[in-house]
Amino acid sequence: MTDFLSTYGFLIVTMLQAGLLGLSLYFPLQAGQLSLASPGFYSLGGYVAAILLTNPAFAGLRDTLGNAMFPLTWLVAAVLAGLLGLLVGVPALRLRGIYLALATIAFVEILRVISLNLSVTGGAIGLFGIPQPFGIVDRWQYVFIFGPLLILTLLFARQMERSRVGRALRAIREDELAADAMGVPPTRYKVLAFVTGAVLAGIVGSMSAPLLSSWNARQGTFDASIAILAFVLIGGSRNIWGPVVGGALLTAVPEVLRFLADWRLVINGLVLVVASLYLPQGIVGALEKLGRPRPPQRPTPVKPAEVTP
Amino acid sequence: MRHPAQRRSQLPSFAHPALGATLALSLSLGAQAQKVETISIGVAVAQTSNTALLGQEQVIGAKFAEKFLNGRGGINGTPFKLVFQDTGGDEAGAINAFQNLITKDRVLGIVGPTLSQQAFASDPIAERAKVPVLGPSNTAKGIPQIGNFIARVSAPVAVVAPNAVRQALKLDPKIKEVAVLYAQNDAFSTSETGTFQQTAKDQGLTVATVQKFQTTDTDFTTQVTAVLNAKVDLVIISGLAADGGNLVKQLRQLGYKGLIIGGNGLNTSNMFPVCQKLCDGVIIAQAYSPAQPSAANQVFVKEYTAQYKKAPPQFAAQAYAGVQVMVEALKVIDRKKKLNTWDLDDLRAELNKQILLGKYSTPLGPIAFDKEGEVIQKEFYVAQIRMKDAKTGSFVYLK
Repeated sequence: MTDFLSTYGFLIVTMLQAGLLGLSLYFPLQAGQLSLASPGFYSLGGYVAAILLTNPAFAGLRDTLGNAMFPLTWLVAAVLAGLLGLLVGVPALRLRGIYLALATIAFVEILRVISLNLSVTGGAIGLFGIPQPFGIVDRWQYVFIFGPLLILTLLFARQMERSRVGRALRAIREDELAADAMGVPPTRYKVLAFVTGAVLAGIVGSMSAPLLSSWNARQGTFDASIAILAFVLIGGSRNIWGPVVGGALLTAVPEVLRFLADWRLVINGLVLVVASLYLPQGIVGALEKLGRPRPPQRPTPVKPAEVTP
Repeated sequence: MRHPAQRRSQLPSFAHPALGATLALSLSLGAQAQKVETISIGVAVAQTSNTALLGQEQVIGAKFAEKFLNGRGGINGTPFKLVFQDTGGDEAGAINAFQNLITKDRVLGIVGPTLSQQAFASDPIAERAKVPVLGPSNTAKGIPQIGNFIARVSAPVAVVAPNAVRQALKLDPKIKEVAVLYAQNDAFSTSETGTFQQTAKDQGLTVATVQKFQTTDTDFTTQVTAVLNAKVDLVIISGLAADGGNLVKQLRQLGYKGLIIGGNGLNTSNMFPVCQKLCDGVIIAQAYSPAQPSAANQVFVKEYTAQYKKAPPQFAAQAYAGVQVMVEALKVIDRKKKLNTWDLDDLRAELNKQILLGKYSTPLGPIAFDKEGEVIQKEFYVAQIRMKDAKTGSFVYLK
């Protein structure tokens, strides 16, 4: 049991973490916005935690607060990510589809280059020697931190979907113009969904910095954007379980297949190709379809009788 | 803030009591003594991802060490085994590889990981589990300081790089103006360029322009134009093989005629296919040279060349040295008390102590470690690339 947990504990935690990052992308997708900005906020959250936990300027604060310092980093990361999300979201969400995706990738790149150039973020080497919260010794114990966050996020997402806000978001996703005509203000709801995703990614980042013990600019890159998008696409983008299943699966595949050595990445690629070819609604979408009764088929149209002149 | 180790027995404050009981139980189970079954040493380097250009040379170096040292009696007659785990190019991969080696493969010590940034994430895992680690290519500041169990055989960049500048001045004493270029997103290159710029100033040169690029870049027109406009006599590049090679190629194509110094990231024959004939003449400072005259190195070079048809590169030599140091330390311990009678945890601690105590005659020359685990290496080298044709070339050593 101990061996299993210490060998695969870190993997289990990264699966939860991937699910959470997938969910952070799922929120804007609920309003039909393909945003790839999550790694930017994730990286920001990580830097906030890393700086608060290692920078000598905060040594006094750390001594006074003790373990309460860690929840504080989550809070600061959430607030900063939310503010930045608002700042970026208001202008960027005027763009649609692929243009929004491009703008958010540019945002991630800008943050990355900034973090490479600042001395407070440690430049290219980044920050290291980040202390562990609540006396955690083994990586698997981070389940106690990421697990509750995942449960809370799922509950929140479910409540949001069932509420008036959720219905408004769905309306915008299906047809923005029609929703606008019905009196749903699209910009406000789109920014709300975007900021929710940003806050979540920021918190996940601030929890991940101690998990990795170090933080650097490579945590928030274009590659990470694509990886997170893949989590959502493979899992399914229309159900809260989609990003969670997709994130967990795509994180686990290369690790569980470790014994295949070089071939494991080939299998990983195959999973991606097969899933996107045969499961356009994602894995959860396909399962949902199986569970649902087949929709009634449209009766074959009767050929109109030939009219003879 | 208290150190995590002092709070070892404490549970996460919000853990459920039942979970807490399971945890306490599993911790007590984990504390049971485990005997040493096989003598295995872990190698955690990048076998996949873009870091694999370096990692694969390390795999060859380590595999060669296993075959060669076992052929000469292993550990006082008992052969040892290497266990490889791929770290990929990121932090999570390095942590997973270390976890697997420590708990599943039960290795005595680990040689790895490839990148300094990965070391900052994975070395604390080994430190907590009290497993000795030897970094084969981690050159950033602060690596041996991660903990008592962390050491490295790779000399930090600050002592290697200045030699190249001195050599360039020997080749062309008229050099006055220098252009410095570096890969901004690479930890190694950014710390190396600091050393290069300082050395240039110390030698009385003027740094006319400093240009940044990314390791993922392929087009360097902006940087090359700036270098040409600054009319410099020397260009110093800190980057990795692919980007560095392209940069050299574009500098020459657009008409730069002066000397070029490459940093340690360019210190691999993997660069030759990128800049081909135009690689010719690039000066590189190295922590390893096949020309190093010690008996240990000459045997290594001879056997390696016979097997792989080329002289060993620095990354292979450093990985070899990492394995060799572990094996020699184990030999000393084995002479006092047979390895298979040890308790695994005790042996790991003893191995760490012995690694730091010993003096080793490796292909890198004679090396030892200071109290923190930093390598003490005396000899460094400067080489110049000589291309025979578009594909094959060699590093020619300058004295």
